[in-house]
Amino acid sequence: MLFAPVPVWASGVCAGLHTAGSRHVVYVPDNPLSHVLRKLRGDYTDVRTTLATREEEAFGIASGLYLGGVRPTVMLQSSGLGNSLNALTSLIVPYQIPMLIVISMRGDEGEWNAAQVPMGRAVRAICDAIGLPWAIAASPESTAETVQLVGQTAFGTRIPGVCLLPRRITVPPAKGVAR
Amino acid sequence: MTRLEATRALVTAIGDDAKTPIIASLGHPAYDLFAVRDRPANFYTWGSMGLASSIGLGLAMAQPDLRVFVLDGDGSLLMNLGSLATIGWVKPANLVVVVWDNGEYGTTGGQDTATKHGADLEAAARAMGFSATTTARTDAELSAALIRARTDAGPWMIVAKVQETAPAGKPPLDCVFIKQRFMAAIGHPEAGTS
Repeated sequence: MLFAPVPVWASGVCAGLHTAGSRHVVYVPDNPLSHVLRKLRGDYTDVRTTLATREEEAFGIASGLYLGGVRPTVMLQSSGLGNSLNALTSLIVPYQIPMLIVISMRGDEGEWNAAQVPMGRAVRAICDAIGLPWAIAASPESTAETVQLVGQTAFGTRIPGVCLLPRRITVPPAKGVAR
Repeated sequence: MTRLEATRALVTAIGDDAKTPIIASLGHPAYDLFAVRDRPANFYTWGSMGLASSIGLGLAMAQPDLRVFVLDGDGSLLMNLGSLATIGWVKPANLVVVVWDNGEYGTTGGQDTATKHGADLEAAARAMGFSATTTARTDAELSAALIRARTDAGPWMIVAKVQETAPAGKPPLDCVFIKQRFMAAIGHPEAGTS
């Protein structure tokens, strides 16, 4: 597992955020995102990564990075969006602090854990409600383009942008009979 | 000392260095900073309670040549104690976290905070790996700590025991104005604004 190849979708996320000019990723990890982190650390030595204890804290750190002239990316699992709302609505949106937000989805197609479903189902409605544009990566091969475009739009318009990575991409369905 | 007197000591210690950033927590810490000296390199938050030290950490990583001051409150820091662990891990030598510890939620009506009942924020910062920590109970102790913190390696945690007083002013309300003025003042104007 340690030497398993990095999935296409994860390499695409790295390429996309790098092309969008982001050089610092603040994150709270989840299982799929570990592939992105592995690729970043192996192949993108100019991208710094910082682990936050909580998603709201990650958004605070990313805001400080932007104030200092760095284009930040925040990576989190969809469950952490709930932890982030005060930072998003009372700092990042009103101060127009742009960042690229990459969300690894739970609770969508392929989910097995009922505790992940309510927030997973609510992610898009929450983003709409607080004024964050979002886009869904359509395939493993298109994550690079989607992440890049979301990032470019965010940093150009100063409106943070969200790229959703659905579970059917990050955790491909197992072949054979379902458990 | 009152929080206003402590704020004067901070502004005096920073002096005329127009590029030194101060990230101020919302409410009374920001109000007093504005009242003592409004300067473009003050970043006044109007929300996001608890995140001042996180914003400071991000800025300190982005700009290692700037000495970044964070002005937090005890109630606010208690809302985001995980930040101490992250700062202790990253160990930015240029970050100075100053906490106005009045033992109460001064902006919301004076309810007790946990620091009035034993919580020790300096000890917490030390336990989380801050390089330099102190608790100041007088103007003189605070000024001495701030002068050291301007040059000695951090991350610093300076807890100042202060008395709550009614704030004497309110910062500008336009968040984008605060941000753009701040970024220009610290030498990194926002793209498209200059």
